[in-house]
Amino acid sequence: MSSLAEHPPPPPPLPGSAGRARRLAPALAALCALLALAATAEIVLDGALDHSALIPRSPAIAGWLAGIGERLGYRVFLIALLAFSAAYAVLLALAGRGALARLRPRWAIGLVGALQLIVFAGPILLSTDVFSYIAYARMGVVHGLNPYLHGPSAITGDPIYHYVGTDWKLVATAYGPLYTLLSYPLAPLGVKGALWGMKAMALLASAGTLALVWRCARLRGLDPVFALLAVGANPLYVIYGLGGAHNDLLMTFLMMAAVALTLTGRSSSTRQAWAGATVVAGALIKATGAVLLPYMVLSSDLGGHRSRRRLAPIAGAALAVLVGALAAYVAFGVHGVDIVAALNRDAAFVSTDSFPTEVAHLFGKPGVFPIDHTLLKGALAAILLYLMWLTWRGYDWVAASGWALLAIVVTSTWLLAWYTLWPLPLALVTRERRLLWAILAVQALFIVHQISPLLAPVR
Amino acid sequence: MSGDARGRRGDAWLIETTVIGLIGLLLAVGTVNDVVRQVHVNRRLVVDLATWRAYSARDYRNLTIEQDVKHPDSTREVVCGNTSPGAPKERRQLCLIITGAVVAGRRAVQGGYYLPPLTVVDRRSARYACFGAAKSQELCER
Repeated sequence: MSSLAEHPPPPPPLPGSAGRARRLAPALAALCALLALAATAEIVLDGALDHSALIPRSPAIAGWLAGIGERLGYRVFLIALLAFSAAYAVLLALAGRGALARLRPRWAIGLVGALQLIVFAGPILLSTDVFSYIAYARMGVVHGLNPYLHGPSAITGDPIYHYVGTDWKLVATAYGPLYTLLSYPLAPLGVKGALWGMKAMALLASAGTLALVWRCARLRGLDPVFALLAVGANPLYVIYGLGGAHNDLLMTFLMMAAVALTLTGRSSSTRQAWAGATVVAGALIKATGAVLLPYMVLSSDLGGHRSRRRLAPIAGAALAVLVGALAAYVAFGVHGVDIVAALNRDAAFVSTDSFPTEVAHLFGKPGVFPIDHTLLKGALAAILLYLMWLTWRGYDWVAASGWALLAIVVTSTWLLAWYTLWPLPLALVTRERRLLWAILAVQALFIVHQISPLLAPVR
Repeated sequence: MSGDARGRRGDAWLIETTVIGLIGLLLAVGTVNDVVRQVHVNRRLVVDLATWRAYSARDYRNLTIEQDVKHPDSTREVVCGNTSPGAPKERRQLCLIITGAVVAGRRAVQGGYYLPPLTVVDRRSARYACFGAAKSQELCER
């Protein structure tokens, strides 16, 4: 992160009502910050007490917080989430209008840091995915099984097995081989040790992503405080992404690292090659990260000779694919290399929160049918190609990548809250504001879709 | 960029924004429709739970509800619960087929069947003592 002293000085005070509004803005921002912190603390403290419909069964890692809250139910969770979202919206509105320019960047960093640490100290929230990550690691290290061939049901005697989500017990890993290899050193630490390791990995990846968002925003002449708040204080990022210790944070970190490399090394073929390699590394965590590569290659934004400019990220990516595929083959055999098969399998899943399911319900259908999957894939391919054409014509490749990831989110029949986080950091380092508003609108719709238990609780 | 080129990009921007807005509108309508639909379903489920408790004369709380997801307009639900105190599904379960409109806070019980203790998945092979519509629809193997 760049030196805080380099942040531009606050603007002079405005006369009249505009000046008063600007003077009140810090107080309003402080109130919103407190509300966001309180909502996060409420979810974490209540979640620490015991498992519930929202808190998966977990080894007791946050028992020391358990005496303060009550068991987390839908009502309290949704009220806290809505309060956090409202506070976030006001904070963004204030920061977007420059009303927080008088506040020091340390204020924003402090808020974002506090939110992350509160969630880090607490239990696993809203997802059993992290237990699957640990199960796959323990399968490989402790039991000598290939996680690309077997599901966690192959280790029913292992202590992690009981925490794996019911739907995933028979499912082999769909994550990239780099992630699986990164998770292996955590396996011998025991279930609790591995869980803390996963949480630490998610926290570090998040901190790295936020630092890179700050840096890239500055490099592109955008407001880094706004960018930091928009990502780091985002309720879905904090509660779902970090709360569930999802490996998506590691993928977004590598995506942002690739963006930073292209921005700082416009005239350096080596840096651009590293950028291509970093995108592939992200895709070896989670295959979705590969979406950035064609837009990076087609971009006319990079400096240097045109043909060499396009060759460098391709060469870097090709080398990374070669090394990654070789490592995956040695570690996991041919199944570790065949990410496409895993993607095809996952593409057939359907979740109730996905937009295609909602639209199907709107037209009186019970859900999505195989023909809908085909239509959605066609629509997605058309959008990705249009974005490639735009990028070739000079459109910002970072924005195009963000739109591509958002298109995947919207057309996917398997939508989870943390998927909406993929394009968010990219949107904050581009001048294409439509992308940010579209992502925030999608996130708002996701939150709205959760509220039926609040309006009509089932007891 | 020439004036023509800028104008073409401006037109493209307008078309893109309109398309994005229309997609957003469709998703928003779909989301609100789904929330309203789920609220109606939740209210019906509350009535179903009350109907099961009234029919069985038991105040058991951990009931399971199976909805007819293949037919989104269907109001048919199967509600199962233990017939004696115990952990969910550990005792003999009574399953009721509940349909129709809400009348005085209850819905009609069309029929039902029993499941033996420790039955996790409600399969035809596990069901016994079918009565009412469950019997005529041959939902029990025994």
